[in-house]
Amino acid sequence: MTPEIGVFALALALGLALVQSILPMIGAARNNALWMGSAKATAIGQTVFIGLSFAALMRSFVVSDFTVRNVAENSHSLKPMLFKIAGTWGSHEGSLLLWVLILAAFGAGVAVFGRNIPDALKARTLAAQAWISVGFLSFLLLTSNPFERLYPPPIDGNDLNPLLQDVGLAMHPPLLYVGYVGFSIVFSFAIAALIEGRVDAAWARWVRPWTLAAWISLTAGIALGSWWAYYELGWGGWWFWDPVENVSFMPWLLGTALLHSAIVTEKRGAFKSWTILLAILTFSLSLLGTFIVRSGLLTSVHAFAVDPERGVYILALLGLSIGGSLTLYAWRAPEMESGGVFAPVSREAGLLINNLLLGVATATVLFGTLYPLFLEAITGDKISVGPPFFNASFVPIMLPLVFVMGFGPFLSWKRADLRGVLQRLWGLLLLSFAAAAIVWYLTTGGPLLAVLSLAMAFWLFLATLREWAGRIRLFEAPFDESVRRARGLPRASYGMTIAHLGLAVAMFGFIGSSAWKSEQVVFVSPGSSIAIAGFDVRFIGVERQQGPNYLADVGTLVVTRNGDPVTTLFPERRFYPVAESNTTESAIRSTLAGDLYASLAEPAADDAKPGAWTLRILYEPLVNFIWLGSAMLVLGGSLSLSDRRLRIGAPRRSAAAPTIATPAE
Amino acid sequence: MILWLSFAILAALAVAFLIAPILTSRTALAASSRDDGALSIHLDQLAEIEADLGRGVISEAEAAAATGEVKRRMLAIARRSGKTRGAPSRAGRGPLILAAVLVPVAAGGFYGLLGSPETPSLAFADRADEQAQATEIAGLAEKLRIRLEGDDSGGPAEGWGLLGQTYMRMGRVEDAVWAFERGSEQPDANSAIFSRLAEALIRMDSGIVTPAAQKAIEQAMELDPKNPAAVFYNSVALDQAGRGGEGYDLLLAALQSADGFAPWMPSFIDQANRLAERSGRPPVDVASFAPMASGAPGPSAEDVAAAGEMSEEDRSAFIRSMVDRLASRLEEEPGDIDGWLRLANAYTVLAEWTKAASAYERALTLAQELPESDPRRAQAKSGLDRVAAEGK
Repeated sequence: MTPEIGVFALALALGLALVQSILPMIGAARNNALWMGSAKATAIGQTVFIGLSFAALMRSFVVSDFTVRNVAENSHSLKPMLFKIAGTWGSHEGSLLLWVLILAAFGAGVAVFGRNIPDALKARTLAAQAWISVGFLSFLLLTSNPFERLYPPPIDGNDLNPLLQDVGLAMHPPLLYVGYVGFSIVFSFAIAALIEGRVDAAWARWVRPWTLAAWISLTAGIALGSWWAYYELGWGGWWFWDPVENVSFMPWLLGTALLHSAIVTEKRGAFKSWTILLAILTFSLSLLGTFIVRSGLLTSVHAFAVDPERGVYILALLGLSIGGSLTLYAWRAPEMESGGVFAPVSREAGLLINNLLLGVATATVLFGTLYPLFLEAITGDKISVGPPFFNASFVPIMLPLVFVMGFGPFLSWKRADLRGVLQRLWGLLLLSFAAAAIVWYLTTGGPLLAVLSLAMAFWLFLATLREWAGRIRLFEAPFDESVRRARGLPRASYGMTIAHLGLAVAMFGFIGSSAWKSEQVVFVSPGSSIAIAGFDVRFIGVERQQGPNYLADVGTLVVTRNGDPVTTLFPERRFYPVAESNTTESAIRSTLAGDLYASLAEPAADDAKPGAWTLRILYEPLVNFIWLGSAMLVLGGSLSLSDRRLRIGAPRRSAAAPTIATPAE
Repeated sequence: MILWLSFAILAALAVAFLIAPILTSRTALAASSRDDGALSIHLDQLAEIEADLGRGVISEAEAAAATGEVKRRMLAIARRSGKTRGAPSRAGRGPLILAAVLVPVAAGGFYGLLGSPETPSLAFADRADEQAQATEIAGLAEKLRIRLEGDDSGGPAEGWGLLGQTYMRMGRVEDAVWAFERGSEQPDANSAIFSRLAEALIRMDSGIVTPAAQKAIEQAMELDPKNPAAVFYNSVALDQAGRGGEGYDLLLAALQSADGFAPWMPSFIDQANRLAERSGRPPVDVASFAPMASGAPGPSAEDVAAAGEMSEEDRSAFIRSMVDRLASRLEEEPGDIDGWLRLANAYTVLAEWTKAASAYERALTLAQELPESDPRRAQAKSGLDRVAAEGK
């Protein structure tokens, strides 16, 4: 019975979404309060019904109801409970259901919390959100019904993939989706503003919390995904420029640009149509990502051509929403009043450079991701565009961005004193290059790009700290006053400082772990030793152990440095008989300075030396800085989100409310 | 019934969501206009600049500049607000009421297309019980267990084996292990009970050959080196010990020494091919063992491949020649029950009912000597019945 309730609830949600997509829009045009107000009830109703449907699917997974095809194909009665629950969004159908649930939840969020948003804007935003809902709910029901039945049911389910039984992997799709889909509401706000023909500081302020919330989730989701790859896959890498990673990274890059451009709209009334365009493009990239991942295009262009029903439907949705919104933009955007003028050297100009560079970086990633797909579709050749392309193209674009990032916060709005800023900062710039040169000297012969990147990372770190120190007048005023000022700074400004520092910290991690990584893949027999990055690793041997549902070959590695014992590592290679597959459990000695990472690859062939194994051993300097930096980005975003000025329910109380429009901020 | 009631409740809920705006709109406050919203934000901004100035976060000059900027924006809004329309209308319940009717109807229609209300949902936990109840196996197994446990001599090994197999079919692997263990302790324990014990132990540990399972396999092999189940699990054990090649050899030896086709052969072939892939040995197929064992040339791989490319007539001629070869061989070796079954099956395919019936009769006569549980007895019997029914 439960699965049938799930289907019916989805059908009702589609009905409500249809009403919501039409009535409030007409209501806003005819100034009809009743029709505009209906958006609130239908948005909440939609979320309730999709939520019910999702709960019904989750229950089917929890009790292993194999009369539901989706459950039979993607679960197994022996799976641990956590992974049965995670199975709900593990399949194509389930993940789309989660997708529309988040979509509807963001709509309901605006309906419930957006009390201060004017009725007409709110009605149009929710109607635009419902257009997306109608598209995806019908896609779900017509091509990917998650509740398709199977009778008689099989004795047990089909899936026990041990590689996917990992907590990090189970939790990262929901986070990633909140980020991806969260940008939908920003898109809807942009569509509403275009129809209304008005974008101003107030609009930017109403939209900002939603952009931030989506951006924070996406940051966390991407970081978690890379952390999973690092710990579980056993390759010792944290980012592979894989298409699946790229499609989540592109909305992040443009979303970051949007976040910054919206600040200019909020504070200076400038960049209006640019902000709108970014809002449209960011969500378009989310849709593109959904299309690429969900159409089967990645497995093979030809597989897509053979069974095109789903792919074509999503492609049509993609064309309709991106094409439609851009047409609307081309038609309405020129009518926007232009706002705030600014000088070539100003905070606005700095943020413009930030936007341009982020845009170019996104385009680079987009090109590298789509080019192989197009090439395969046209000529049938399979090529892969990997790290060499991205390192050579993406990194050089990011370096000037980081450079501008360092002194951007020093520039004042409208017109800035570049000379004064440079006078304050040239010391730091020199110091950064000196620091990078010292590191280069110590490690002898690090690649040029790495040294440059390192200088930029130092620069960003120091300049951001200097900016904060300047604001609280550290060492310029009495210490008491500095403390008082530090307390008085708005949370949003701490958010910026921490997020910028976070990027610098993450950069140390990116650079250290890629440029100064040591790696050895060696054939070892018991007793042999490997020297790596100052450590001495001795291979004792491999022992067969039995786990709850697997067999493990556990290797023992004794690590010493200059004869002093450091640690003992136990990398494992597991065999799951039911699934007939192997997984690698790496052993990692993790410190802030770097990770010593060991994984067992393969035993030597039958007739070779007994007890000999292929061992992969890596030293990755500073790799944990990546996740530390990511955590700081998330923390910075959250601080900014928690600041009162960013809430939609604008407070009337003024006591604790920090600054909104301080030109010198 | 409950299902339709739930649907009615859900539909009512959807109607409530659509009607709610009509009911609440009478009490709602005046709608906020775009300009009111923007103005209230700017008023907040002014208040916050004051507050910042008070805390010393910004200077007098900065505060003055910011205040000026905000006031300019407020003026711009005031200039424009002349164009704003009057108070919004509250009429127009019609479309909402229409939607309240159409949404449940449309959802019902959609459900009619996609739903399958007659399909019951079955939780995994409920199904094991259901199956057991349906076949009353649970009760019978319980009776058997009590009788075996009450037996002073420890109970016959065959009885324990039956109990264990019943438990296995019910999915109670641990109980099955217990029953097989008890059976294996009896003086009349044969090779089969040890191999079944090994199978249950391996299943209990998710496919891992534990030392206990290894021991059971060895005992089964000792009692009957030709016990197919024992040979099979021995190859699994060898594979997990990293000696897949030896497992492969063992399987091949068993296949080669087999007398005619046996039901266990396909699973042996599959396992051998799995091992072959890992140890780099050549793959095998059924055709290369079953006929060779009985000494007569069966269809070779080339024959089969050729048959695939033939026309319909050629193919039936080809099949006919194969059948004739088999029939003449069976005249010389009339004791080959597998051969008779295959011949009967071939005649059935060719729709030669009388010949099929007589072949099945020969097989049935031979089958009388086989133990009660041998599937070939049932096979011959049911084949004969089918052919008799078709022939009329």
